[in-house]
Amino acid sequence: MAEIALRNVCKQFDATHYGVKDFNLDIHDHEFVVFVGPSGCGKSTTLRLIAGLEEITDGELWIDGNLCNYLEPGERDMSMVFQNYALYPNMTVYGNIAYALKVRKLPKQEIDRKVREVADILEIGQLLDRKPVALSGGQKQRVAIGAAIVRQPKAFLMDEPLSNLDAKLRGQMRVELQKLHKKLDTTIIYVTHDQTEAMTLGTKIVVMKDGLIQQVDTPQQIYDNPINKFVAGFVGSPSMNFIECDVSVERARTALIFAGTGPIRKVYLTGQNARRIGEKYDGCRVILGIRPEDIYEEADAIEGGFAENSVDVEETVVTREMLGSEVILYFDEQRKTCAVRLKPTNQTQVGEKIRLCFDMDRAHVFDMETEENLLYRKEW
Amino acid sequence: MGKSKHVPLTSYLYLVPSLLIFAVFLFYPFFKTLYLSLFMTNKMGQAKLFVGLQNYTDLLSSASFVNSLKVTLIFVTIVVFGGMALGLIAAVLCNKAFPGIRVFSTAYALPMAIASSSAAMIFKIMLHPAVGIVNKLLGLDINWLNDPATALYCVAILTAWLNSGINFLYFSAGLGNIDETIYERASVDGASGVQQFFSLTLPGLSPIMFYTLVVNIIQAFQSFGQIKILTEGGPNESTNVIVYSIYRDAFFNYRFGSASAQSVILFVIIMLITLVMFRLEKKGVNY
Repeated sequence: MAEIALRNVCKQFDATHYGVKDFNLDIHDHEFVVFVGPSGCGKSTTLRLIAGLEEITDGELWIDGNLCNYLEPGERDMSMVFQNYALYPNMTVYGNIAYALKVRKLPKQEIDRKVREVADILEIGQLLDRKPVALSGGQKQRVAIGAAIVRQPKAFLMDEPLSNLDAKLRGQMRVELQKLHKKLDTTIIYVTHDQTEAMTLGTKIVVMKDGLIQQVDTPQQIYDNPINKFVAGFVGSPSMNFIECDVSVERARTALIFAGTGPIRKVYLTGQNARRIGEKYDGCRVILGIRPEDIYEEADAIEGGFAENSVDVEETVVTREMLGSEVILYFDEQRKTCAVRLKPTNQTQVGEKIRLCFDMDRAHVFDMETEENLLYRKEW
Repeated sequence: MGKSKHVPLTSYLYLVPSLLIFAVFLFYPFFKTLYLSLFMTNKMGQAKLFVGLQNYTDLLSSASFVNSLKVTLIFVTIVVFGGMALGLIAAVLCNKAFPGIRVFSTAYALPMAIASSSAAMIFKIMLHPAVGIVNKLLGLDINWLNDPATALYCVAILTAWLNSGINFLYFSAGLGNIDETIYERASVDGASGVQQFFSLTLPGLSPIMFYTLVVNIIQAFQSFGQIKILTEGGPNESTNVIVYSIYRDAFFNYRFGSASAQSVILFVIIMLITLVMFRLEKKGVNY
């Protein structure tokens, strides 16, 4: 098991193209670290840099206190699960799982014992004699994981291992991966573009964009306290609503007035937030960020005691999604589609107007230029 | 498999043009050869005297033909293994992207484009005992093509090199079909380059390897031009492979019957080898 540290790691493809820029991260023992970001953000590249499949252009990679920049992949003692599983087509399932042990010249009985142990854990005992072509996607996936866990490497590297599975199977495997992490009690570095996977699996999430780390934190913190508009918008589904507003200090309260023409619609910031924004940004244009589940219908807001923070926020529903346990209404605000997640009892139909109330305790305010979260809490 | 028994007669009609061409250039010569192999012929190649299987029995008891068989066997072995090894090594080397790869790829595939006769002419000069570059570079004084000990190896190695071009192409295509990520996984798993070659590359190439082997064997049995130019079967019949022996019997000695019989024997040998190989393939190549 290992402590992995990346110090100012860069991957430069050519003079102007960076895969990863100035990547700093400490990965501790037993952590389940998830790299997440849109495609092309450098998350897979970072994983491959750690595995040794790509050369680090600049910076240092430390594994257990040893500089590992120049070690061959095989010498780093990692095991990796690939997106397309990368099973050896000429070998049986048994051969695939045993391969890493075989090249290390372990005694036959020990290999056999370990392979069968792993096959038991993953419930693939009946498949051991099959070739990869005769396996379904889910089975291949298990074999690939089996081949990775048959050794006790310093860390498991997983490159979008669930992305080739159908939605139901992906859900199942997600749960199993979590169990596996507990059972093996090991470090896992996991790459995905799916924020749901990231949120459910990770103990630490690294959100990346354009080769740069945006934020490193626990899932809860990433969700509740995003550092900038990108992270806020990337995590959560449906994603956070962004509404451009003008800050206006009215007597003791700080109002955010929706930008645009028409009747004045505004919301009031609460508590500390009101003071922080009011002091510095009076008269400025900012972006209000509010998650769909933090918007309520009026009756619930009155019950919750924050109805008076929203003034005349009335929207026309353009799409309605009934999901059984909840209903999601979509409306257009400033030519962008916004979503609100309400109780399934809400009967507002498409074309009807609905009065909405924002839970301003949970609102975020972003800078127009830098897109930084102006309410980001460093200490918590 | 609901195969209808009624195939309309017109469908056979469509096969006629190709069958006609085959008939003229393949079937007729083939059966004519079979027929001639049972006769003594005159100098015009006309069947004159029916002798039954005597041509065959004569051949099998002749020291010259037995020597031809032996020489052919050695020749084919060297050509097939040499040619395939050269092609495989070149293909594996060129499977990685590096600057100048196009130059190397072209160089390795080039033998494919060289006529065997012109290659033979070049080798003849290179192997010349007095002015040849081989002797000059090695500081030796060997008459490569006129020494029974070396002549066969010289023509065999030349042929192997000539065949390596097309093998390079086959193997390059085969390597391109192997999923790149299994090598990445293998290197993370800790397998060395050699281990990866034997456990992944070779098995991955096995389907194309089989095809290449069959083609190479057939091709090797039929090599003629370079032998005609370099050694003419000599010295001392040490390079007298069956094909050359057929040529000599037919067009020098005008013994068309015996030449036909040799052709039939060669055909049977190649057919048997091919059949055995296809039988083996079903067991060996299975994914």
